[in-house]
Amino acid sequence: MKKLAVFCALALGVLTAGAYAESILIKGGKVHTLADMGSLESADVLVVDGKVEQVAPVLNVSADRVIDAKGKVVTPGVIAPISELGLVEISAASGTNDNAVTGESIGSAFNPVPAYNPKSTLIPFNRAGGVTSAVVFPAISTWDETAVAAQRVFAGRGFAIKLNGEFNSVEAKDVAQKAYLGETGAQLAGGSRANAYAKVENALSEAKEYRDNRAAIRRGEWRELNYSLADLEALQPVINGTEPLLITADRASDILAVIELAKAFDVKLVLLGAAEGWMVADQLAQAQVPVVIDAINNLPISFSSLGARLDNAALLTRAGVKVAISGPDYASTHNVYLSRQSAGNAVAHGLPYEEALKSISTNVADIFRLSGGTLEKGATADIVVWNGDPLEVTSYPEQVLIEGEPQSLVTRSTRLRDRHLKPAKGHGFGYRN
Amino acid sequence: MQLHSRFFGRGIAALLCASLLVSACGEKKAGSEQRSADFARLDAFPSTYSVTQSRPVLIQGATLLTGTGEQLENTDLLLKGGKIAQIGQDLKAPKDAQVVDGKGKWVTPGIIDVHSHLGDYPAPSIESSQDGNEMTSPNTAQVWAEHSVWTQDPQFPLALAGGVTTLQILPGSANLFGGRSVTLKNVPGRSVQDMKFPGAPYGLKMACGENPKRVYGSKGTSPSTRMGNVAGYRNAWIEASNYKKKWEEYAKKGGDEPERDLGLETLAGVLNGDILVHNHCYRGEEMAVMMDIAKEFDFQISTFHHAVEAYKVADLLAENNVCAAMWADWWGFKHEAFDMTEANIAIVDQAKACAMIHSDSGVGVQHLNEEVAKAMTAGQRAGFDIQPKDAVAWMTSNPAKALGIDAQTGSLEKGKMADVVVWSGNPFSVYTHVDQVFIDGELMYDRSDKKRQPRSDFELGILDAEGERL
Repeated sequence: MKKLAVFCALALGVLTAGAYAESILIKGGKVHTLADMGSLESADVLVVDGKVEQVAPVLNVSADRVIDAKGKVVTPGVIAPISELGLVEISAASGTNDNAVTGESIGSAFNPVPAYNPKSTLIPFNRAGGVTSAVVFPAISTWDETAVAAQRVFAGRGFAIKLNGEFNSVEAKDVAQKAYLGETGAQLAGGSRANAYAKVENALSEAKEYRDNRAAIRRGEWRELNYSLADLEALQPVINGTEPLLITADRASDILAVIELAKAFDVKLVLLGAAEGWMVADQLAQAQVPVVIDAINNLPISFSSLGARLDNAALLTRAGVKVAISGPDYASTHNVYLSRQSAGNAVAHGLPYEEALKSISTNVADIFRLSGGTLEKGATADIVVWNGDPLEVTSYPEQVLIEGEPQSLVTRSTRLRDRHLKPAKGHGFGYRN
Repeated sequence: MQLHSRFFGRGIAALLCASLLVSACGEKKAGSEQRSADFARLDAFPSTYSVTQSRPVLIQGATLLTGTGEQLENTDLLLKGGKIAQIGQDLKAPKDAQVVDGKGKWVTPGIIDVHSHLGDYPAPSIESSQDGNEMTSPNTAQVWAEHSVWTQDPQFPLALAGGVTTLQILPGSANLFGGRSVTLKNVPGRSVQDMKFPGAPYGLKMACGENPKRVYGSKGTSPSTRMGNVAGYRNAWIEASNYKKKWEEYAKKGGDEPERDLGLETLAGVLNGDILVHNHCYRGEEMAVMMDIAKEFDFQISTFHHAVEAYKVADLLAENNVCAAMWADWWGFKHEAFDMTEANIAIVDQAKACAMIHSDSGVGVQHLNEEVAKAMTAGQRAGFDIQPKDAVAWMTSNPAKALGIDAQTGSLEKGKMADVVVWSGNPFSVYTHVDQVFIDGELMYDRSDKKRQPRSDFELGILDAEGERL
């Protein structure tokens, strides 16, 4: 798919397979680089070979394709920090759900990558909403009695995808390990959040014990361990700090406990939820723990989120915490792109505008070490051209590039809209596309 | 696994399929002319089906299987105004006519599947789409299958590509009385009423045998035996007779209006002759019992469905004017389906009872011509002289009789609905394709033209946002 500039190929008289890169010039848009250059009222972005080649107020270069972005807004593509894309098609149709498992054999070792379906209808839909990458995580449902009975708090490994719908769209595996503490952890661990905490502690301890005595354990010349070797293997990158541990917690006191736990085991922590994060913002900043929050959530929906408020993102960011904003809880599957709306609300409640843009792109890329998230030389060309302010609910993407490739913005929903645009009697609709 | 459990679930209701002969279906019984109430509520959910046929169609020089026992070689067929206008040699094409070169092709009436669950058991088959079997009481005569139909079931267009122009959607077979059926034209519809065959009688689904007794017996309630089944039918008919009488007396004498009862309305509609009984029934002796019950309460059974043992009582069926809808070779999945012969349809047919194929399957409905071909061959091997001109009736005119719509469709006869299939060759070859399907004279399917292949909403952008499923 990568193309060299056509004129090059013609001049050379050869076309080398796989080395045919299209250049794209996005002209005259308001560009938020989310990098050193900051925001430019009017600028050109040159994309070559899937990368950003140059950003400047005016670029006098020719390109295979020119996108007129005058009056438009150009940003890095939205990156969803938490989703179930490609693992869930219809939540209430069990055959289409691969995001969770029951049984005791796998916890941290669960790796849903083989179940990932890049042809899910949810992918074009969210892409058309401006999402170019997403982190996909397994989950454990507390509605599932067998999952609760298993008393397992590790959900397994997350991976990252590009939303181009290609079979090779898994961008990175083992992006983070996910575990439940706080109130959900308590439900999963037999009734007390302390027990969930102990389970994670034990698992990390055993992972270290396994690391230090691997040969003897493998030979069977060691004490009986509580966790399977597969689970302990899966925790190795967590305890050696190369893979973050994503932990759910909302209540301030839970967050503090999680910070302590991470410190004790020298684990790279990412906090998911953090409804009361603002209450312990300084501690989070000091411990350099990034958070993934739903910035539109202000409901005291449980006793662990009595302090939920709309300026959580603003307060955390002001304290120096790296914030990633996800879509609302209910939108982790079909409407992942609504992280834009949450970020817009965060701006309405004090989060600086560019920080909000970063919280749905740059920061997510940083936290999970993904490509994209900025517009600067050498950055992966995941770019959205918006008809207006991307955080505004009345705005929408007009162009989406993933790794420099222009993407289709057609979705099942636009197909249905077009088919039934003018409802009429008869059966003619069945012959319209 | 899934197919099996679904099949078993449905199998119950489908067992007792008493085939109602032609005349019995459509006609009111003499003597029960006290039609004081519209028990069938024929206008409650009226058909909004409409035809947009605009130009005449002339199919030239094809081999016609008329569905009335004739095979006409090198013959023209003219469709006009939604009707079959003319059959003959060297017909002149009217102005603007669409001309179909029928050389080497065969033409049959549109296929009618008397036993389908499309829309009620749609694809994809997921937890939330199992809407065909109200398994909550042995008698759920109050439910109507049409109220479960998902009109966007992609199985409808697939059935169309198999030449099916009309189908009866039945509720499932877990209950003694499963509910009311609906007959649909196989056209894209936004509402089920857009698909409803205008004026087609309703059916009542009943089920004999293993299914009801297993479903309710396993819950520790009645029925748990075949005799329990029969007691259940008879009790319900007693109640329905009383209900009917109460309304008739009210019509005659006035007074307080009796209270409506949805379930009894349907049963009274049967007693009144407005609703046809479609009875899932596998075994010969059970069919005999059901025909006795019909006599006891003075109603007519239209058709026994899944009638694996119809061949054992074919003479009784003929005598009682009851049809049988059968498979070519499905058998053995339960005890009552064990006594199978592939000559079943042929034997019933030769005994002068009204015999037909049926599918009860989203796959089978696409290949009913092949199913008929197998049954025809089995008949020939049994020594009967059954030719394509005869066998075609098993998928066209006979199911039309069973559904009480044979005056409108089911055969190539002047004045009938122009429901017509053009086949690439002999329809009883596995290699033959459906080339074109006309419903009321309108080209609804054309194998060579993607634009004349309907797609349900479900199929849009489902594998690829910009494409269709197929």
